[in-house]
Amino acid sequence: MTSVSNKTLLITGCNRGIGKAILTKFTENGYNVIACNRTISDDFRTFCNELMQKYNVEITLYQCDLSENNSIADTMKAIFQSKVQIDVLVNNAGMAFGAFFSMTSVIKIKEIFEVNFFAPVLISQYVSKWMQKRRSGVIINLGSVAGLDPMEGFTAYGTSKASLMMFTKILAKELGKYNIRVNAVAPGLTETEMALEMEKKSEEYMVNMTSFKRLGKPSEIANLVYYLSSDEAEFITGQVIRIDGGM
Amino acid sequence: MTNLEKYNEAFIASFEITEEKLNGLKYQDIEFWDSVGHMTLVANLEDAFDIMMETDDIIDLSSYEKGKEILTEKYDISF
Repeated sequence: MTSVSNKTLLITGCNRGIGKAILTKFTENGYNVIACNRTISDDFRTFCNELMQKYNVEITLYQCDLSENNSIADTMKAIFQSKVQIDVLVNNAGMAFGAFFSMTSVIKIKEIFEVNFFAPVLISQYVSKWMQKRRSGVIINLGSVAGLDPMEGFTAYGTSKASLMMFTKILAKELGKYNIRVNAVAPGLTETEMALEMEKKSEEYMVNMTSFKRLGKPSEIANLVYYLSSDEAEFITGQVIRIDGGM
Repeated sequence: MTNLEKYNEAFIASFEITEEKLNGLKYQDIEFWDSVGHMTLVANLEDAFDIMMETDDIIDLSSYEKGKEILTEKYDISF
């Protein structure tokens, strides 16, 4: 891999929304990228090819189902064998779900936790071990305001994100000695397909709660993630940073 | 360097001990083999044998002898 920055980002779930914006932001800044997605469409391959040509970087695609531990393990082994050094890990992939507590099965909660919490934990276990050897690295988890502020209908999603954000703080404590920084961003409602899946009245309610009376843009979240990955944020670790337009 | 020499060297480098103290050595027997030292040992073993150890194996690596057993059975490294 040859690029301007000679650094590599590993990101999960980047074929749309916030993940796609993060992928774009990092490649704009010369990062090579290892992208792990559940599905890899022809459109996404074309999009990546355009980024590679435009910014002279490498994007390597792995098909990985985050709801399956074996799929994660196989992907991590393949990355390990490729001998690529991971500088930044962004655990972005997430599964949205909204329903009242009484209409949320435990099976559904486990399904959401599998992708939103256990997968980032497992991936962080692999990648942080590689980072520990080099005494360097940055991990950024995508949390959510739904994991900070209690909101009706977020039993599964909110608790999974709350767990991820507490995990972030604990991991930062454990990995600080290895010069690895771990932070989370907690976006409010953002202009993504995930947001479109919400009931209209819920969306309006959340928009009205913001100071700016609008949804966030994926690029705004990507800018914060990129900042946290940069040396300019070298003394920031164990933080959950809200980016919600002032909710 | 033989596999046994590489294995021993990983322990010696991780815990700053001499070779004669390796037999029978168990996790937390000595000051340097604490949780942080354990991860240093894992890193040194992974580097020495070019392997990626699974979390379950890292947890099971409770002694000098157990480590040899894990590497033999799970990672095809013979001693």
